[in-house]
Amino acid sequence: MTRIVAGIDVGNSTTEVALAEIGRTAMDTRFLSTSRVSTTGIKGTLSNLPGILYALKEAVEQAGVSLNDLSLALLNEATPVIGDIAMETITETIITESTMIGHNPNSPGGLGIGVGHTVHIQDLVSANRGEAVITVIPKSFDFEVSASIITQAIENGVNVQGGIVQSDDGNLIANRLPRPIPLVDEVSGIEQVPMNMLAAVEVADRGQVIRQLSNPYGLATLFSLTPEETSMVIPIAKALIGLRSAVVIRTPEGDVKTRRIPAGTLKLLGVQQSITVELDGGADAIMQGRSDVGELVDVEGEPGTNVGGMVERVRCTMADVTGKSTSDVKIRDILAVDCLVPQHVSGGMAKEFSMENAVGLAAMVSTDRLLMQQLAQALTQEIGVDVELGGVEADNAVVGTLTTPGISTPLAILDLGAGSTDAALLAKDHSVRSMHLAGAGDMVTMLIQRELGIEGDGAFDVAEQIKKYPLAKVESLFHIRNEDNTVQFFPQPLDPRLFGRVALVTENGLSPIDTRHNIDRIREVRREAKRRVFLRNAIRALEEVAPLGNLRNIDFVAVVGGSGMDFELSEMMVRKLAEFGTVVGTANIRGSLGPVNAVATGLLLNYQRRIEEGRV
Amino acid sequence: MAQISEAMVRDAVAEILRKMGDGGSAPAASSPAGEQSYSTSDMELRETGEAKPGTSRDEVIIAIAPAFGDQLKRRTIIGVPHAAVLREIMAGIEEEGMKARLIRVWHTSDVAFVGKRGAELSGSGVSVAIQSRGTCLIHQKDLSPLQNLELFPQAPVITLETYRNIGRNAARYAKGDSPEPVAQLNDQMARPKYQAIAAVFHIRETEFMDKSRRPVDLEVRFK
Repeated sequence: MTRIVAGIDVGNSTTEVALAEIGRTAMDTRFLSTSRVSTTGIKGTLSNLPGILYALKEAVEQAGVSLNDLSLALLNEATPVIGDIAMETITETIITESTMIGHNPNSPGGLGIGVGHTVHIQDLVSANRGEAVITVIPKSFDFEVSASIITQAIENGVNVQGGIVQSDDGNLIANRLPRPIPLVDEVSGIEQVPMNMLAAVEVADRGQVIRQLSNPYGLATLFSLTPEETSMVIPIAKALIGLRSAVVIRTPEGDVKTRRIPAGTLKLLGVQQSITVELDGGADAIMQGRSDVGELVDVEGEPGTNVGGMVERVRCTMADVTGKSTSDVKIRDILAVDCLVPQHVSGGMAKEFSMENAVGLAAMVSTDRLLMQQLAQALTQEIGVDVELGGVEADNAVVGTLTTPGISTPLAILDLGAGSTDAALLAKDHSVRSMHLAGAGDMVTMLIQRELGIEGDGAFDVAEQIKKYPLAKVESLFHIRNEDNTVQFFPQPLDPRLFGRVALVTENGLSPIDTRHNIDRIREVRREAKRRVFLRNAIRALEEVAPLGNLRNIDFVAVVGGSGMDFELSEMMVRKLAEFGTVVGTANIRGSLGPVNAVATGLLLNYQRRIEEGRV
Repeated sequence: MAQISEAMVRDAVAEILRKMGDGGSAPAASSPAGEQSYSTSDMELRETGEAKPGTSRDEVIIAIAPAFGDQLKRRTIIGVPHAAVLREIMAGIEEEGMKARLIRVWHTSDVAFVGKRGAELSGSGVSVAIQSRGTCLIHQKDLSPLQNLELFPQAPVITLETYRNIGRNAARYAKGDSPEPVAQLNDQMARPKYQAIAAVFHIRETEFMDKSRRPVDLEVRFK
């Protein structure tokens, strides 16, 4: 006698179903079909129902049976954790009294460095002979007019050293002058430039960066600063590093500050002790506190600060979905990651960006079994089939993973999902230890989005795509250069919208991304985000489950879950874990499914075992 | 929508022709180019021989339709002098460190084909094409004629600043950059307001077409 049973695994981002005919013995058991769809709503809540139904229908259709033929559905007792992420900047650059313009216009004009007093272009011709000046050119002056005024002034003996230009005219003016002077253009807030102040303008050649203005002693030389004053200009120099052009104006009270926003403190409440860490200390300090505190009971943020807001937001989201009160929502793990995000400089005159330090925080909250039972009941009503909770997720995942060819115990599995990173260890005696940590795929996506400064509607989706696919530059309509520098030709011309663009190589062809970043920068951000979240968490999770906390005691590690399909992660993982002499690879469930469907498969195999043992 | 009677069409055309007689700048009242005076309002174009395929990778061709500049009205559909338009496109190209080369295409007045021919002759493979009424596009030699990199179909809303940006973007494509497409205004009223006059403009331009002539290089002197 055989019965058709469905294993259902609701994950943070996907819902997976496996369908099998289960007999009395393993010999009679036959897998019929599998399906994988997006999860609806947050995992472990009633809003998952539509996704489950859709996945079930797809699976029964594939198997050529109907929903009525099902005799039982096994629902995974979802890892009772859900994750949320937040990010706050902890530094901010503020320019007071307009002392500097450090920005990278696409095409500054001229070359070199010039120092002089700022003079409006309309007063240039009447400037004193021999006086060193920097001319300020608003948008209302046409490039040809400006160029002829400057030329005339130079002929009159005015020592024009450089210029600050409002429109994108730098090259146009420079090309029309008798001798090259540095011109910084696209300074939108030019009316804020103070007149008759000592200023320095520097433009570097293509492919070079400015040297003098980004060097504190360089500034001291140009402005004859005292040692005390020199120590004051360090933030200016720092803000100008790596730019092709810049202006620094010396005003009596001028100041640029890198202000640290009072980010607040994070209180980690452990079983044995509590530790308070400053968010200012960055991710390392937080993670050090996290590992010192041991098992975490809850996390509190200092009220009225950035971090307080972050923690409360996570708590409220979680309270919403679980229907608990906010005071009952306990944060069981956090992952903090440092990153640099582009931010507008407040008080800047040219819409400058500066890279500011930020901390990304992923939190994990425990939910309870009750919710899963509600979901199971709702599903029973919907499909008219018995639904059972089929045991702990980690157990099922391990059993499912054991169907990978070439794998053996003691086996550790790493489930890199969207919301949490889970590890489980199956010892030789078949006892299972498992561990859930905050931070996974969604955190990587957030880091990519914020570090690349992707904005607007669907920014998260764009970042998600960048996470998933390798990059290519469309060099002509007939060829692309992949991120590894290989060239690929096409017999048919590509879509004109792709011309010159950075694109993602997806299964549906090339998809252009709107970005000002080049391919190398995007690749670096992407890989760094994966390294900081996936690799760090993988090590953290494995250390937790490893015998004696030593990774060397684990022989086999198998990666399962959606992130296991990542095109570069397994390679990064192999490289990292090779240090510990561990075999690590992507699982291949039932020898054919790849890293997905481990839990759904495990649910069915466990059920089979229970039948054999006569427990059903 | 109300039916348009033949009489209404006749009235409209008569009106347009009358306005064109006034100097073609009448409908400019509400346009962005508005009641502006232009520092450059005229130019002299001199043919310097048949246009040969370019060999330098840093040139961007500006291909003008048969009547652009000195042939017809010397102004676009909203009365912006062709000289000012051309100067801005050239400035956009120069600012990016590329060289602008000007040619006139005689054998067609269709902006798509003007652009395609220009792109084929351009050393960088990129061209900007422009018609008398101001319609404009950026073309690339590997594209089919009716494709383009960027198209600016609504001549009445293209400002001089937009023309500058068009030149700039064309130069960036030629350099292999991936510029953000030029932002365009969109005016739903432009179509009903200008459709008839745009059609007349195109018909007039087509009259200057000479199927037997090959594209020629031009030298420009702004006045």
